[in-house]
Amino acid sequence: MSRRAQRPVRLLGVADDERFLSKETCDAVVRRIRGFAQGGGETMVRIDSWWHGELRWARNRVDLASDRRDVSVRVTRGLPDGGRADVSTNQLDDRSLQAAVYAAERQAKHGGGMTIRDITAPAPVFDYQQPSIWSDTTYRFATDARAQIARRITDKVEAARMLAAGYMEVKAQSTARTAAAGMMYAERTAAQCSMTVRDAAGTGSGWAGLSSYNWGAIDADALSARALEKAIASRNPVGIEPGRYTVILEPQAVHELMKWVVTHLNAGFAGLIGPGRVSAENVSGPFAAGFDNALGIGRSKLGLKVVDERITISHDPMDPALGVVPWVANNYDSYAEPVLPVTWIDHGILKTLAYDRGYAVYRLGDNVGAVSRDGYRMSGGTTTVDEMIRTTERGLLVTRFWNTDLLDPGSVLLTGLTRDGLWLIEHGKISKAVKNFRFTESPLFVLNSLDQLGEPVPVFSPDAPAIVPPLKAHDFSFTSLVDAV
Amino acid sequence: MTDERRSGASPYFPYNLEMPITRRDLLKRGVAAAVVAAVPRPLFVHLGRAREPVPPIEDPRLKDLAFSALEAARGAGATYADVRLTHDYSRSFNPALSNIYDAEAMTVGVRALVDGYWGFASSAVWSADELARLGREAVHQAKTNAVTGKPRTVLLAPVTAIADSHWNMPVARDPFDVPVDEILDFMGGLAIYARRVNRHVRDIYNPATFVRQEKAYASTVGSYCTQRLYRSDGAFFFNLRKDEKVIGGRIDALSSAGMGWELYTADRIPLARDRSLREEIRRVLDELDEDLTLPLRPIDVGRYDTVFDNASVANLLAETLGRATELDRALGYEANADGTSYIDAPLQMIGTYNAGAPLLSVTGNRTESGGCATVKWDDEGVVPDEFSLVKDGVLTDFQTTRESAGWLKDYYDKSGKPFRSHGCANADSAISPPMQHSPNLVMTPGHEALDFNGFLAGISNGIAIRWLNVNMDFQHLNGLGIGGSTYEVKHGKKTALLNSAGILFRAPEFWKGLLSVGGAASARRLGGTERKGEPPQMTYHSVTAPPAVAKQLALVDPRRRA
Repeated sequence: MSRRAQRPVRLLGVADDERFLSKETCDAVVRRIRGFAQGGGETMVRIDSWWHGELRWARNRVDLASDRRDVSVRVTRGLPDGGRADVSTNQLDDRSLQAAVYAAERQAKHGGGMTIRDITAPAPVFDYQQPSIWSDTTYRFATDARAQIARRITDKVEAARMLAAGYMEVKAQSTARTAAAGMMYAERTAAQCSMTVRDAAGTGSGWAGLSSYNWGAIDADALSARALEKAIASRNPVGIEPGRYTVILEPQAVHELMKWVVTHLNAGFAGLIGPGRVSAENVSGPFAAGFDNALGIGRSKLGLKVVDERITISHDPMDPALGVVPWVANNYDSYAEPVLPVTWIDHGILKTLAYDRGYAVYRLGDNVGAVSRDGYRMSGGTTTVDEMIRTTERGLLVTRFWNTDLLDPGSVLLTGLTRDGLWLIEHGKISKAVKNFRFTESPLFVLNSLDQLGEPVPVFSPDAPAIVPPLKAHDFSFTSLVDAV
Repeated sequence: MTDERRSGASPYFPYNLEMPITRRDLLKRGVAAAVVAAVPRPLFVHLGRAREPVPPIEDPRLKDLAFSALEAARGAGATYADVRLTHDYSRSFNPALSNIYDAEAMTVGVRALVDGYWGFASSAVWSADELARLGREAVHQAKTNAVTGKPRTVLLAPVTAIADSHWNMPVARDPFDVPVDEILDFMGGLAIYARRVNRHVRDIYNPATFVRQEKAYASTVGSYCTQRLYRSDGAFFFNLRKDEKVIGGRIDALSSAGMGWELYTADRIPLARDRSLREEIRRVLDELDEDLTLPLRPIDVGRYDTVFDNASVANLLAETLGRATELDRALGYEANADGTSYIDAPLQMIGTYNAGAPLLSVTGNRTESGGCATVKWDDEGVVPDEFSLVKDGVLTDFQTTRESAGWLKDYYDKSGKPFRSHGCANADSAISPPMQHSPNLVMTPGHEALDFNGFLAGISNGIAIRWLNVNMDFQHLNGLGIGGSTYEVKHGKKTALLNSAGILFRAPEFWKGLLSVGGAASARRLGGTERKGEPPQMTYHSVTAPPAVAKQLALVDPRRRA
């Protein structure tokens, strides 16, 4: 029996057995859109459709439960003698699709964007892989089951005379992209749960959260126990002096810093010309080594040691724990292109920087870029957080960071705040809750000031799944006291 | 792999992938003809038995469609329900690339209340069957939690039923009626003009997005209303580069507004510019050109009286008091998202808390002409009022919806104020549940006719900041402000541009240290956004603020590590 046949059909109103578009429907939409295209050229289509089941609670009561669905069809038309334009709609009848195609053709005649003449390479033909990021548990996690969990969580928090606020969400979605070999289609699920517990007087706050494609991997009761424990332990914090501290960062806190490193590896640095060199127009950023006037080229830090040799940062799109669809519509010709496994940093050495397909074609004479999604896996060690605490003479235990913001792209210098639980460690023990801090620090400095690493675990990162260890590092820079809870 | 789902037509997405309909077919259907001519991309809707192009939002037949959701919700046991239908158009330009991106979406959302619990259901299909399904689904969501959860009470502030009304936000020119060539040419012309009047202008970035939202609303109170709302998000960023020096600038008069194409073409716009857009660009360039002669200097850490321009005051206001006076946030309803509020005991602090110096007064509204949050009715059918948040430095009220106003009923009764919602219920589209979002905020100007340059003249040793950005904590209490441009001011004159400068502040002390605010003629309106909720929704609102001076702020180097 196929997976879909097992899906429950709830006879509530209009049949509920299709909460997003099937492959057949997407195929038909693409066929029809292509049929409407006039004047040759290229027609690319992206279709996304989704279902969300959501539950939100605050002050120990559920304050909204919802069920939502939507669809988006984005048509890209490239004309042989003109430009390209995109139009999107969320209606799938023929007139809407036809009108979208015509509108894209009308706009394309303004000569916008990269013209089709600029596209000299054929769309890549690949053996596209299907991800295994579908969970029936997620798909079947119905509103009554969600309600029961919320009741259980809020009861426990209320019994402890604290206030709970939180959110759980399950979704199922399909993604279709036109590719050289026809249409790529994937279905996936996603789930997340996070909660904040505070005392009524607002002197303590604790948080816990997790995301996964599989609701079964999320233990909401364990999360609520952790948030409650942190809330109780964080009450009545005392202020201590800002300055440099040894820090023990829980995995969520590490992620809030590391996502900026991954962004810089992954996103903009499309200016590479082969190993060790970046193009003249792109010599800034943390992984650029400056412009070489003699050779007239920029240099990157590829092949150089950039962080502690215990650190490896990689991404494998087929790893279900990283939960991504292993292809994207590239920004060169809008066709689907595979996301390949990549090791960005290998034992501290910078191995790869991202570049897009347009760059591969123009500068490398190749046909495929080195792109990835923002998810990542970071290597760790074997030290537990308890062991890190035991071996710390004086330091701070950080639950998570909030509102991180880039101050200097060259060094990935960030500012932001600690939130929902910060404790002072003295003589190998947690001694007291302390008031929050604003920090001014670069994750690259942290990765060069490592003391200990723990076991990598999934963290709360709904948009770009990440697997991250807790760590201990020295000389972390806290710059001002923040008396918000 | 076998697939047992039906191909083509599906039960949920009733897009029958039908054959194209000819124009002649449409002409036969009466209403259709005019609509096809007027709407560039007719989407389809089920109003009767057949599909037909989406009519203008004021078509009376949409009322029956809306009420089919309410009847279903009531039939399923809702004590209260409301429904929104939105039809959104947006057109984005990136003139540098001659890129145009059009998007259109139709959505519908139904909200139901059962025994104090809210349920919500939404989708992309406008048909009576689907609206009935959504009505039942919203009730199912609410009821499930009402049965499972402990008692919860909701007291909705009273509302007057709207008898079938329609409102168009007044705009001089609907941006979707303007040929795209005209818009691209106009924007290209601005860039050429800027480079012509100042040869140091580089890196111009001037994207724009125009939005039209048609919205129908009905509730079991018996209200039915439709609106056509507009928003134009302009932008004009540039750098002035001379030798080593780079000064970033922007044209505030193009920030988001509840206006049409006239945001660009009007001779003048109250609270935005007193002259044509080209003359305004020239004025800003002339002012910044003088800055190119200033020396660059590192900061001298310390405390200084600080002059802020309109954009900085608007940002500070929105990010501190603007967020802190959201009642749901103050009571912990956003605790797991952006956070709570430094006004942390709202029921005790209202009417007594000193939010700032006596010269600080702040109001909220969704009524001002040109405001991004301006509507005739909010997403609960409430006619918004103009209301005081801070009066002469004292906290007087909060931003509310019908439910959150209920939390303040005792205060309203005691103080003799009317028990009503201030009309802050809003959602980015019908696909999202309505919640309290920021209204337009207005900081009352001072009595003296002072402006930014006037303030500079009064500073003997201080700093001045343009285009300050702020990074706030989760109670919007402690902030780090990072200036767009920060100046050293000595003896009434700008004497240097400061490198890597920022201010550290605590919101209550900042507002209590307010020394002076600019006069009415110096006030400017800027568009802003707010992200709120789970999943996050982004909504727009305007903030009107004069320039201002605050005393003895901590000037720091934000990049300096401890």
